[in-house]
Amino acid sequence: MRSPQFSSFVILVVLLVVFGIADSNFLSPLNISNMMAFLPELGIIALGMTLLLTAGEFDLSVGAVFGLAPVVAMLLVQNAGLDIGVALLAGLLLCIAIGAINGVIVTKIGISSFLVTLSMLLIVRGAALYITQGFPLKSWDQPGFFVTLLAGSFNIGAFRFYTSLWWFIGLSLLAVYILRYAKLGNWISAIGSNRNAAVARGVPADAVKIWLFILTSVLAGLAGMISAFRISAASPVAGTGYELEVIAMVVVGGTALTGGRGTILGTVVGALMLRAIRNGIVLVGVPGLAYNIFVGVIILAMLILHALLQKNAARS
Amino acid sequence: MQEVLRLQNLQKSFGSVRALKKASLTLKEGEVVALLGDNGAGKSTLIKAISGVFPIDRGDIYVRGEKVSIRTTREAMDLGIETIHQDTSLAPDLSIARNLFLGREPVNLKWLGVFAPLDRAKLRNAASELLKRVGISKKLDADALVSTLSGGERQSIAISRAMQFAAKVIILDEPTNNLGVEETHGVLRFVKEMREAGHSVLLITHNIHHVFEVADRIIVMRRGEIVAEQTVADTDLLTVESLITGADLSALMKRAQ
Ligand SMILES: Nc1ncnc2c1ncn2[C@@H]1O[C@H](COP(=O)(O)OP(=O)(O)OP(=O)(O)O)[C@@H](O)[C@H]1O
Ligand SMILES: [Mg+2]
Repeated sequence: MRSPQFSSFVILVVLLVVFGIADSNFLSPLNISNMMAFLPELGIIALGMTLLLTAGEFDLSVGAVFGLAPVVAMLLVQNAGLDIGVALLAGLLLCIAIGAINGVIVTKIGISSFLVTLSMLLIVRGAALYITQGFPLKSWDQPGFFVTLLAGSFNIGAFRFYTSLWWFIGLSLLAVYILRYAKLGNWISAIGSNRNAAVARGVPADAVKIWLFILTSVLAGLAGMISAFRISAASPVAGTGYELEVIAMVVVGGTALTGGRGTILGTVVGALMLRAIRNGIVLVGVPGLAYNIFVGVIILAMLILHALLQKNAARS
Repeated sequence: MQEVLRLQNLQKSFGSVRALKKASLTLKEGEVVALLGDNGAGKSTLIKAISGVFPIDRGDIYVRGEKVSIRTTREAMDLGIETIHQDTSLAPDLSIARNLFLGREPVNLKWLGVFAPLDRAKLRNAASELLKRVGISKKLDADALVSTLSGGERQSIAISRAMQFAAKVIILDEPTNNLGVEETHGVLRFVKEMREAGHSVLLITHNIHHVFEVADRIIVMRRGEIVAEQTVADTDLLTVESLITGADLSALMKRAQ
């Protein structure tokens, strides 16, 4: 029970068993397929957020970017007659710009990432609402390369999975590699742990942070596009509140909010856990309006557990 | 002896605070120079300027007679200037081994750039080897997190790191602060070893006894200026103390007698 991701994993298993016993539908192929369809969309953002938090920053604008990117892409297709591929690329370029602006203001002007990305949340969400006049757009629903690439589905036995699950698995493996095994991961942890020490050793801390802001934004935009294709609609309010849900996934998994200590495996467990909780409490019959009470209590319990483990580890 | 580092009229202000006003000094090969001065005299500011922590406002820096510009810590390291800062320079959440090689990690598949995988075996072995050499009293595991170490152990790690890259110029900003007796002697021994190996050392300290034990030359700063320069053989403790405070202590002593 020493490492944070392991204790999170144990709690996840306990939750799955409890929900499974409480309602036999919880572990049915249909329900698992449902959970897996939704999981990658928040999970992909959480991967970027984990790296960013480990470097000591965070991004509150991800939910808004999740909404704006597909909206911009669809408007370009529907109003400007652009090719779908080009429009998606333009959407991602916009995400790069948003991430770069966040990163440059945080590192070069020295304003806290909380304030910068909170402002960016308002700007980006406002932009999405303004350019759509608040109406959802019908998303691209003709089958084709990009739909298959981002939101295609396939059956394995009684299970129905989306290609987005592969994206999530692939990106998770890549993120594990970067954080644990690559030189860059060493830099990311060092920057979050003691920025001055990292800079004194010649680590380009500002550049690393700017790239991580860009990565997080791009992953949020990609997740938004996946979601829009899956439900065939691009809504300007899609992703509202996701920023907090994603941060919850990351810290529940054991990544420190203060930087320096990050775990991708923990984040994957955290993403599974929040999805299982949201899905499970519906099945066990908690009244809809009370969902968030349960989610909040469980998150808090997890954080207390991590803090206690941390204290124990420091004492021994 | 050949000149390794020459600073000419370095100036640095923080807003209205003139932390450095025209500071000049030279450092020769295989020489230990002690930089002395009261709190706030500008010692740390001077060495931060040399090690690329911040750019200087005005002045020139020469390394082996060649004029250089040092704008980043990386550039200073590449010129062979290694610095151990006063405000400890380790990342507590990283292991000892990862800290020792921070910024200069041994990697496989070098062409992958920042995405290259760390050479973990080499990292571990080199780190253990190094820890043996510094002779820290307690046996330390290269995989232990720095956050579990004492202040003195951390200082020793930072010093072994400077040793590792065997720089031309090694700058130590109050390296014996917070150290126990054994570790302090370890540091002073390290300074002597470095001199014997032909490196130059710039040592900042408030402990004048240490100065007389290891230094060849003394440079005294006061309010951002270099006010005196003496060889250790030609001076004594009282003179140095009066130079630091600016009061003529030896005259006072004479009057008292
Ligand atoms: N980043 C900074 N911003 C503003 N003022 C600074 C900064 N760094 C140093 N100073 C000021 O510059 C002056 C010189 O400081 P410095 O740290 O060089 O002193 P020092 O000689 O190293 O002192 P000590 O022996 O206490 O370490 C002080 O007045 C200090 O307040
Ligand atoms: Mg100082």
